[in-house]
Amino acid sequence: MKTISNLFSRVTESVAALMMAAMFATFIIQIIVRYVVGAEWFTALLGHSLDPSYFGWTLEFCLALWVWIVFWGNSFVVRESDHVRFDILFFLVSPKVQRIFAFVGALVVIGAMLYSIEPTYAKMKILRLKSSATLPVKMLPIYSIYFLFLVVVPIRYAWRAYVVARKGLPEETIQ
Amino acid sequence: MSFELGMMLLALFGLAGMGLPIAYAILCAALLYLELSGRGVGLAGKLLMDGLYQSFVLLAVPLFIVAANIMNAGSIADRLLKFCIALVGRFKGGMGHVNVVASLIFSGMSGSAVADAAGIGKIIIEMMTKDGRFGRGYAAAITAASATIGPIIPPSIPMVLYALVSNTSIGYLFFAGIVPGLLMGVVLMAMNVYISHKRGYATEAPVPLRDMPRTTARAFPALMMPVILLSGIYLGYTTPTEAAAVAALYALVVAAFIYRELTWRSLYAVFADAARSSASVGIVIGGALILNYIVSDQKIPEMVARAMVGLDVSPLVFLLMVNLIILALGCLLDASTIILVIIPLFIPTCRELGIDLVHFGVVAVVNCMIGLITPPYGILLFVINAVTGIPLAEIIKEIWAFLVALVLALLAMILFPDMVLFLPRLLGYQG
Repeated sequence: MKTISNLFSRVTESVAALMMAAMFATFIIQIIVRYVVGAEWFTALLGHSLDPSYFGWTLEFCLALWVWIVFWGNSFVVRESDHVRFDILFFLVSPKVQRIFAFVGALVVIGAMLYSIEPTYAKMKILRLKSSATLPVKMLPIYSIYFLFLVVVPIRYAWRAYVVARKGLPEETIQ
Repeated sequence: MSFELGMMLLALFGLAGMGLPIAYAILCAALLYLELSGRGVGLAGKLLMDGLYQSFVLLAVPLFIVAANIMNAGSIADRLLKFCIALVGRFKGGMGHVNVVASLIFSGMSGSAVADAAGIGKIIIEMMTKDGRFGRGYAAAITAASATIGPIIPPSIPMVLYALVSNTSIGYLFFAGIVPGLLMGVVLMAMNVYISHKRGYATEAPVPLRDMPRTTARAFPALMMPVILLSGIYLGYTTPTEAAAVAALYALVVAAFIYRELTWRSLYAVFADAARSSASVGIVIGGALILNYIVSDQKIPEMVARAMVGLDVSPLVFLLMVNLIILALGCLLDASTIILVIIPLFIPTCRELGIDLVHFGVVAVVNCMIGLITPPYGILLFVINAVTGIPLAEIIKEIWAFLVALVLALLAMILFPDMVLFLPRLLGYQG
């Protein structure tokens, strides 16, 4: 079980790292294309086999990667302790109250996110038909990562709620 | 205030106070608002996704994080320190100056105050407290204070966030930050001289001038990073977002081929960590975008503007008031939350009162950074306490002098907008 969960976090982390690297590389391609492809010496060298207009997708591809990094990342890679939080009050109360806070907070996240799945899909359904401006997909597949987030985060918080209820606060939340 | 807004604020403060991540607290509270106001819970996801998918400027955030991670991965901090010691170590309060100057240079690379304090700051504190030359509280305090310069001198993630909410040009904001950032460095060094004289703090043995060229050459590639970033933007070769990518590429080339210290393993760690940090910043930005929709749905910024204009407040008084509010909130909230959520409330008022938005942005960001070191709750104080183990009480005792110096610098920026706007105007800003 331990090895499976380790393997899983290694794989999800490397997917995130790969997306980050791809985004960086795409930006560099975009800049190079602007100054190199289409320059006179370049067409003299290679003819018109490469045209700058082939690269119209770079910007939107980066935006898609950014959205995916954010929601993939928060589903699998971001640890509870990496989040920005307002914890003055949390560290003022007794460990017993902290435990109640953590448990109730987890339940709220689970409830709110699961509750929002259906209405969110109803709102985004139309994107099945809408094509992306420059990428060869519809918009819904790009936005689908948000649904993964809405499912995975409640699962994580359910686990957290279970741990908090059975064993007490996970170590990372204790300063 | 409407019922649903009241309930939302209650939920937001309640959940955040219970220690939930701010982003999730915002999301849950926003869902409650959308449900109660009858706009439909589904709107939250739509706003979040559209907001992130359409904000091209935001792409600078992950790219700056990549650049900073690459710079932090190798020996760049060490090279810069040697250069700074050679440059200012010989003056009264030597290592204190080294600390400030290193922050000034380092801030041209990282764009994040916390990265600055945890990275180069930790090394300098160790050097300053070795053989008890400086009190450890003093060393920690000057490190925290000088780390606030990081996001004022470009590149700067907080400035990117401000550009997003205010629709101002990132390029001009970056240039507007340079003089204020230098001023902050100057006031901190002045305070350091004063205290060092009073307490008889040590001076470093002067580094022979003939060693200067070699030390400079070793640090030179790292020193060029802000130059490349700014000239790319200024000369129009790249957009500010692309400049972030170029900066990251440059950092990669320097670390891999000039300093030869980047392995595949560390490169993987750079991208994985960057993805992690980007995701945790990104979700806060997303949450703030929903919150901004709700706040403008309730016409709150316009109400603030009307109230201020109705009260016949002068622009200067308004600026001072906003600054007091931000300083107070800075004791409670994180800088990115203030910039994304609180600052937009005041932007329509700035327009009404004729306050320049680039000026306002720089002042607000400086203010938020000062908030990072304001006791009792300052992230930078905690970070330094965590990485060095110096007790918070000792740091806080020594921070006041630097806090006063920085607030005076902030006051100067408020009173003399030209100090901020001089450089952008020189480069074509019409404001």
